[in-house]
Amino acid sequence: MLEIGSLVDGKYKVLNKVGQGGMSVVYLAMNEKANKQWAIKEVRKDGIKDFEVVKQGLVVETDMLKRLSHPSLPSIIDVIEDESTFLIVMDYIQGNPLSKALEEFGAQPQENVIEWAKQMCDVLGYLHTRTPAIIYRDMKPANIMLKPDGNVTLIDFGTAREFKEKNLADTTCLGTVGYAAPEQFGGMGQTDARTDIYCLGATLYHLVTGMNPCEPPYDIRPIREINPMLSGGLERIILKCTQRNPEDRYQSCAELMYALEHYEEIDDVYRKKQKKKLGAFIASIAAAVLCGAVSGWGYLSAENKKSENYDVILKRAETPEDFYEAILTDPVRTEAYLSLNELLTDDFVLSREEGQILQQLQVGLDAKNSQGFSDSVDVLAKLRQNNPGGYQDICYRFGESFMFYYDVNTDYDRYSNAAKWFREAVGEYQVAQAYCDIAECLELINQYNGAKIKQTEKMYEEYEKLWGMIGELKTTAETTDSVDSRLQIWNEINRMINSRVTQFLEVTAMQDVISVLEEISQRSGELEESVIQEDVRKLQNEIAETIKKLESAQQ
Amino acid sequence: MNFIVSASTDIGTTKKTNQDSLSVKVIRTRLGRMVLAVLCDGMGGLSEGEVASAAVIEAFHGWAVEKLPLLCEKPYLQDAAISEQWGEMVTEQNRRIKSYGAKKGVRLGTTVVAMLLTQSRYYILNVGDSRVYELTEGIRQLTADQTFVAREVALGNMTEEEARMDERRNVLLQCVGASDEVYPDMFYGDVRENAVYMLCSDGFRHEITPGEIYDSLKPLELFDEQMMKWHSEKLIERNKQRGERDNISVALVRTF
Repeated sequence: MLEIGSLVDGKYKVLNKVGQGGMSVVYLAMNEKANKQWAIKEVRKDGIKDFEVVKQGLVVETDMLKRLSHPSLPSIIDVIEDESTFLIVMDYIQGNPLSKALEEFGAQPQENVIEWAKQMCDVLGYLHTRTPAIIYRDMKPANIMLKPDGNVTLIDFGTAREFKEKNLADTTCLGTVGYAAPEQFGGMGQTDARTDIYCLGATLYHLVTGMNPCEPPYDIRPIREINPMLSGGLERIILKCTQRNPEDRYQSCAELMYALEHYEEIDDVYRKKQKKKLGAFIASIAAAVLCGAVSGWGYLSAENKKSENYDVILKRAETPEDFYEAILTDPVRTEAYLSLNELLTDDFVLSREEGQILQQLQVGLDAKNSQGFSDSVDVLAKLRQNNPGGYQDICYRFGESFMFYYDVNTDYDRYSNAAKWFREAVGEYQVAQAYCDIAECLELINQYNGAKIKQTEKMYEEYEKLWGMIGELKTTAETTDSVDSRLQIWNEINRMINSRVTQFLEVTAMQDVISVLEEISQRSGELEESVIQEDVRKLQNEIAETIKKLESAQQ
Repeated sequence: MNFIVSASTDIGTTKKTNQDSLSVKVIRTRLGRMVLAVLCDGMGGLSEGEVASAAVIEAFHGWAVEKLPLLCEKPYLQDAAISEQWGEMVTEQNRRIKSYGAKKGVRLGTTVVAMLLTQSRYYILNVGDSRVYELTEGIRQLTADQTFVAREVALGNMTEEEARMDERRNVLLQCVGASDEVYPDMFYGDVRENAVYMLCSDGFRHEITPGEIYDSLKPLELFDEQMMKWHSEKLIERNKQRGERDNISVALVRTF
C-alpha cells in the first residue's frame, strides 16, 4: 500500500486514494516538478497468489500498452517495479464511470449512448488492429469513464491479461464476470474482436435501457419493448452485436462503426422519411390515385365506424326496436336479424304480433335520413344485394320460425307465411323448396275448398299432389344433417297427415300412409342423441295416434 | 410433528478455507415446534467468502429470534409475510456484503438456501445453486438452481448432459453480495411426516447421484441424530474419494 503524502520514485507525490479494484488500488499523484497530476495504479500483492509470475506478465503487458496512443485510452507513461510492488503511472482521468451514471439516473439518453458507442467502437477498433491484435474482453459501464467534457475513456486497461480470463474452477456469479460473451467462458483461444463487440452491445443495452443483462430476466430483448421511444436502428445494432454465435454479429469494429454512424438509416422512422421523399417525387402522378384513395379511406373508416356502432348497439339490444336500429346501422350484417329472430322465438311460440315484427322487415324499416325526414329503408334488399348467402340464411331461419312456431290455427296460414320467406331461400335450402310446394298446394286446396262451387275433383287432385310432396319431404328429411331439422320435418309430416286423414285416404291406400308413418317412427327411434329422446317419444306417440285415427276413419 | 436434525460440513480436499456456513435449529414457538435450516456457500478471495456466508446465517438467526415470534402470534403463519420478510432480509444482506466488499476492495458473495419447517408447511428461500431435497418414498428436488447452465437447459439451449460438462457450470445467475439486486426464489409446500429434508451445497451433489443420496439418507435409515451424522459423513467421504474439490456441506431434518 502506498502511503498518502509519500513520494514515489522521487517524482510522484501520492495525494489520495481514488479507486480500488479486485487486484489493484489507484491513487492520485502529483508530479510536483512538472505540476501535473497522474494516476498511479498499484497492483496488490496480497490479492494475487503467485505474484512473481503475474509480475512477469504485467511487464510484458505494460510494455505493449506503453506503445498505445488513442484519445479514448489513458496513456501509460511509466512503470515502476521492485520485489514487493508494481506501479503503473498513467493519465489521471477525471470524471465518473458510466456505471455510476446508471446507478444515479438509470437509462441514459439515446443520443449520448450512441456518441459514446462510437467512441468505444473507435478505441476497440484501434486495439483490434494492433499487431498482434489486443482484445479488451471486459467492456462494461464500470470500465468506461465519462469525462467532464462529455467524452468517454476506457479505463482499467493496464492490468495483466491473466486477470481477465474468467476463473471458472470456483463458483462465480454472473454479475461479477460482466457481460461475458458465450464464447468467453471457453478460454483465451476462442475470443476475438467479436467478443468485444458482444460486450459493447451488452453495455449499450444496459446504458440505453437501464436494465442489466446480468439480472433477471437475464436476456437482451429488443430495446423498444422496454422503451418504445428508442430507435429501431439502435435496436437492430444491439441485437446484432449480442448474437450468441459470433458469426452472426458484426465481424469488425469498422462494420459496427458504419452501422452506428448510419443507425438512423436502418431506423423505421428514417425509412418512412425516405419513402415520403419518394412519394413527393411521384406526387404529380399519384395525385389522381391519391384522391381516389382518400375517398376510399374515408369510406373504409366510415365503414369501420359503422361496424363499431353496430357491435355496441347489438350488444345492448333488448327490444325489437333496438334490433331494428342495429339492422339499420348495417343491413348487410346478419347478426342482428338472427338475434331478433331468437328473441322472438325463444319461448317456442311466434305470436301474431311477433310475426308482424319479422314481417315488418319485408316491408321496410323507418329511418331518419340525413335531412331528418323519415324514410323507409328496404334493409332486406340491401342484405340480398351485398350478402346473398346471408340473405338466404336469414330468410330460411325466419321461414322456420313461421313454419314451426307461428301461433295460428290453420296449417294454411303457417305455410303461406313461412313460404314467403322460404321462397327466398330455395337456392341454398332444399327443404325450403319442398315447403314452398306444399304451401302452394295448400293454397290451391284452400281456394277450391272455399269456392262457392266446390271443385271436389280438382281439390282431390291437389291432395294427391300433396301426398306426393309429403313423400318428397320425407326424402328431404333423410338428407338433412341436423337432427333437429329432421325431427321437425317428421313432426310436420305427421301433423299434415293427422289433420287430413280422410282426404289422404281418398287419394291413397291406408297401408301406404301407415307405412310412411311407421317408417318415420322407426327412423326416429334410431336417433341416438339422448337429448332429443323425449321429443322422439312424443313424436312416436303422436304417430301412433294418427295411425289409430287412420284405422278408425277407414272403418 | 417432531424433528431430528443434523448438520455436517467438510473443508474438502484442496481448499484452504471452508467458506460454507450452515445451521439447523429446532425452535419452540406458540404454533408448535419448527425447524429453521440455513445453508450458505460462500465465495470470494481467500478468507472473505466465509464472512459473507456467516453474515447471512446470522441474519436468519436474528430473524428467528426477533421476527418469527411476532408472526407466530397470529393463528397461523402467512406465506406472504415470510416471503416478504426473507426477501427484505436478503436484499439488505446483499447491500451490506457489497459495501463491505467495496470497502475492502474484494469481491465476495454467497449462495443461500433457507428452509423453515412448521407443523404443516415448509418455506424455502433460494439464491444460487445450493439445493433442498425431500426424501420420502423417493427423492425430489424442491429448489431450482439459479445457475447459468440451468437457465440454458430451461431455455432449451443445452441438454442436461451438456450442462454437466459445460465450462460455465459454476456460474451462478446471482448471489448475495455480488449482484446489483437479488431476486430470491421462494418455494412452499406441505411438510410430510416421516420424511427427510436435506439441504446441501453444490459440493455435496456433484459427484454422487440422487439415487445414492436416497439409498443412504432415506427416512428408514435415519432414526436418530447419530445415524444421520454417520450417513452424512459417509457420503461426504465418498464425494471426496471421487474427486470433489469444493467444500462439502449437508444439513438434514427428519420428521416423524
